[in-house]
Amino acid sequence: MANVQASPATSAAEVALSYPSPLKEFWQGFSHNKGAVAGLIFMLAIAVSALLAPWLAPYSPIEQYRDAILTPPAWMEGGSSQFLFGTDELGRDLLSRLIHGARLSLLIGLTSVVMALVPGVILGLIAAFFPKVLGSLIMRLMDVMMALPALLLAVAIVAILGPGLVNTMIAIAIVALPAYVRLTRASAMTELNRDYVTASRVAGAGLIRLMFVCVLPNCMAPLIVHATMSFSSAILEAAALGFLGLGVQPPTPEWGTMLASARDYIERAWWVVSLPGLTILLSVLAINLMGDGLRDALDPKLKRAA
Amino acid sequence: MFAFILRRLGLLLPTFFGITLITFGLIRLIPGDPVEVMVGERTLDPQMHADAMHRLGLDKPLYLQYVDYLGNLASGNLGESLVTKESVWKEFATLFPATLELARMVMLFAAVFGLLAGVIAAIKRGSIFDHGVMGLALTGFSMPIFWWGLILIMFFSVKLGWTPVSGRLDLAFDIAPRTGFMLIDTWLAEAADPEINAGAFKDALMHLILPAIVLGTIPLAVIARMTRSSMLEVLREDYVRTARAKGLSPARVIFIHTLRNALIPVLTVMGLQVGTLMGGAVLTETIFSWPGIGKWLIDAISRRDYPVVQNGILMVATLVILVNFTVDILYGIANPRIRHAK
Repeated sequence: MANVQASPATSAAEVALSYPSPLKEFWQGFSHNKGAVAGLIFMLAIAVSALLAPWLAPYSPIEQYRDAILTPPAWMEGGSSQFLFGTDELGRDLLSRLIHGARLSLLIGLTSVVMALVPGVILGLIAAFFPKVLGSLIMRLMDVMMALPALLLAVAIVAILGPGLVNTMIAIAIVALPAYVRLTRASAMTELNRDYVTASRVAGAGLIRLMFVCVLPNCMAPLIVHATMSFSSAILEAAALGFLGLGVQPPTPEWGTMLASARDYIERAWWVVSLPGLTILLSVLAINLMGDGLRDALDPKLKRAA
Repeated sequence: MFAFILRRLGLLLPTFFGITLITFGLIRLIPGDPVEVMVGERTLDPQMHADAMHRLGLDKPLYLQYVDYLGNLASGNLGESLVTKESVWKEFATLFPATLELARMVMLFAAVFGLLAGVIAAIKRGSIFDHGVMGLALTGFSMPIFWWGLILIMFFSVKLGWTPVSGRLDLAFDIAPRTGFMLIDTWLAEAADPEINAGAFKDALMHLILPAIVLGTIPLAVIARMTRSSMLEVLREDYVRTARAKGLSPARVIFIHTLRNALIPVLTVMGLQVGTLMGGAVLTETIFSWPGIGKWLIDAISRRDYPVVQNGILMVATLVILVNFTVDILYGIANPRIRHAK
């Protein structure tokens, strides 16, 4: 990589000392991956429309236009420029529902990632620092959770807690937890053998300082990559739960819930089925592309691995 | 080898008991009174309520209830459905072949096309084909499969009329279930009575195609990606260069020297896909009204049929850990380094 491109005027000693800033180095690695940049741009667009949904969306997501039920998209025969992406079975504007749905999907994704990441990191660090009793207890518990298929476990949790936005987030976070614990433990275990950790110990650093100030920052790269990937699977799982009728309840415009109610119109109105699913696919794909780019930029060891 | 299997078994048992703890706890986490939930009535006579508590063993301390639960499991008693009054085990055993048949078709589809795409992409690294396959694989990996199913139904079933929309077999056929596998049953039926059952096998196959593609999309993508990267790694090995240098044909180098060695990690990934498959089966079976255990569990959840939910999940989880155990053992057989690692 051409990280250091010194002009001929600078002396050799200066070249050796002028490292690019970490941020710049990261961006060089990331922007090298065209797909990742495309994913980033798409997700920025989704995030902006989610933030500005009430102002961007042409209509209210739950307002029903009874005389315009199942209007095709504007570019189709019979469509009108009034409803750009057409309307659904109750005459609600599809574009507005998709824009408002972005809010919900991003909210569920972000919240469940944080809800899994924070306890996952803490448990993982504990497991790495006390490998004998506490560590193996935690890891056995995680093994058990890993044995249950993710979606099935989420479905079971929601079935017990009852459907809804908050419970969806809790279920997805619980399902995502074991991977964070394992990842943190594995990277912390390798770091624990390094000299700098011993040095800090000798210098008298306490347990909390060792965990969060010494070791954790050095485990961040794989964690950030994994958090990105689990953000996309959280969106997929939330949509799947919504589709099964166990997630966010109608009339809230959640992408998966929209698909579930559109199922009956599969023969008459392709747009009601296609557009929400396409939005899910593109968002998840964009995040996964970003994840690939992040891995290239942050974690050279994993580069080009599947 | 024997010690290795024993060691793995030693890891398996705590996991299994952990799962029984979860399924046991799941039922007790339901908000509200368990008897009211089970009976479905709000105001019960206190005496009847106490009787029901006693009959269900819910008046005992929690640890004794758990011991009872384990005892029931050990004697093969998985309880009975609140709705159908059938034993949970019997329902599971009746519906499982449908899911197994689907899963086998899925793995066949995903393995054949995934390996093929991965191998070609690795050989033609950097080509348009490589970029195309990897792009498609990432798309497949990101696919909301419930939507994918609807799109395929919309196109192939509704628009073109090529495949049926749902179920395992057309209602016009009356096939006696012998093995539970529709492809085998229809084959046997056609052989026995070609007049009445003509076309039954083809019909069963047509019912199977779309669900298999839908459920196979993610495993296909994962296998293609893994095969490609594993192939690229092995292609760099010295023995591959040696094989080429001594003048072996390119096909022999690729399939005998490279692919065989590249397969080990791919096989592990395939084994790990079983969990994904069981989760995906819930969605796929719901979309295609496929009468397997995925749909059974979702139906049980919506009917609040708790014994089915509890022990159905236990069965599925047990299945997943058994498959992972088998993969572990096979991996140990294939790779002595794993077997002897501590």
